[in-house]
Amino acid sequence: MRIIFQKYQSWIGLVARLILGVVLFVAGFLKVEELEKSQMAVRAYELLPISLANILGIVIPFFEVAVGILLILGAATRITAALGGLLMVVFIFAISQAWARGLSIDCGCFGGGGTIDPSQTRYLQEIIRDAALALLGLYLVRYPLSKFAIDKNNPTNHIKEME
Amino acid sequence: MAQAKKSNGGKDNFTRNLVVAVVLGVVLIMLVPTLLSKKSDSKAAVPSVASVQDGYGLVFNKEITGVPFIEIYEDFQCPACQRFESVSGPYIEELISTKKAKIAFHTLSFLGGESQLAANAGACAADQGKFIEFHKTLYANQPVENSGAWTTQYFATLGLGLGISDTSFEKCVKGQNYMGWVKNVAEEGAKRNINSTPTVFINGKEIDRNTAYGSLEAFKAAVAQG
Repeated sequence: MRIIFQKYQSWIGLVARLILGVVLFVAGFLKVEELEKSQMAVRAYELLPISLANILGIVIPFFEVAVGILLILGAATRITAALGGLLMVVFIFAISQAWARGLSIDCGCFGGGGTIDPSQTRYLQEIIRDAALALLGLYLVRYPLSKFAIDKNNPTNHIKEME
Repeated sequence: MAQAKKSNGGKDNFTRNLVVAVVLGVVLIMLVPTLLSKKSDSKAAVPSVASVQDGYGLVFNKEITGVPFIEIYEDFQCPACQRFESVSGPYIEELISTKKAKIAFHTLSFLGGESQLAANAGACAADQGKFIEFHKTLYANQPVENSGAWTTQYFATLGLGLGISDTSFEKCVKGQNYMGWVKNVAEEGAKRNINSTPTVFINGKEIDRNTAYGSLEAFKAAVAQG
């Protein structure tokens, strides 16, 4: 089992990196295109003072783009995966509290957002998706080795790491 | 275990550090000016009927007191705003012409570029005393969101159709004279926590989201109640 994992570890790492990286990049890019909506989406969680929510609505998309690009390239994988995973945990917390308080909002994860009809909320799916992405981040923090990364990970590293 | 990777190898991480620095640098260069620009521009031109203290809204019956104050936050491209207009628009026009309410229109632009052009053209029409007509015509012919149908030329032609003969209207539309104001309206809407369009306040209180947006009777009752 362990040997099989060693053999494919860097490929698993690549898949994890690309999924988390591409999702973050796309989510951020779609929001950078429409920052007013992004600000609205953050306000709709009713979690933060309005002025702070408006600032975060601008900062989060750019943060996602940066972390996404670095993950796709495999630069500083462990740190960027930790940041990406942490962001997902924050999202899960924000969506859960909105659900628990009975707000009816769109998560605004890929643009859009704001108050919507109660029948259109999809909190559970959003939480499951973000949890899966958070797990990918966690995996990469534990096993940051991956194929085609800018990070230095030569074969000797690979073996040493598993010892 | 995991730390072995760092202590091993001995090669420097020059490429990696360079990539990280470049990506962070580029993102920061884009982010910082965006953050700084999200402030009201007090130097922007303001349409004659707009009221800065009412969140830059276009205000009708400004001088009348003792009547309900209705504030409408909308986006010309939003389908729900079109529905609200088709249900309650004629009644709101009646309230304006009979001077039974003070009404502020806030033309937000959540939905992007064509909403901004429409809001700018709306302000130009307001200067010509034709905002209400412009408002009604736009919703009656609302195209699909950002389909490319709403251009400055479209709005200039629409103005002719509404009987605006003053050439300054076309200049105002094509020169996007009120774009700064459009952004100020959006900024004030964000500060007021407007999270969907339409959002309607009567005397500062939002009307019931479950009933009053879709039913003329419920809206009339809300206005009567004040």
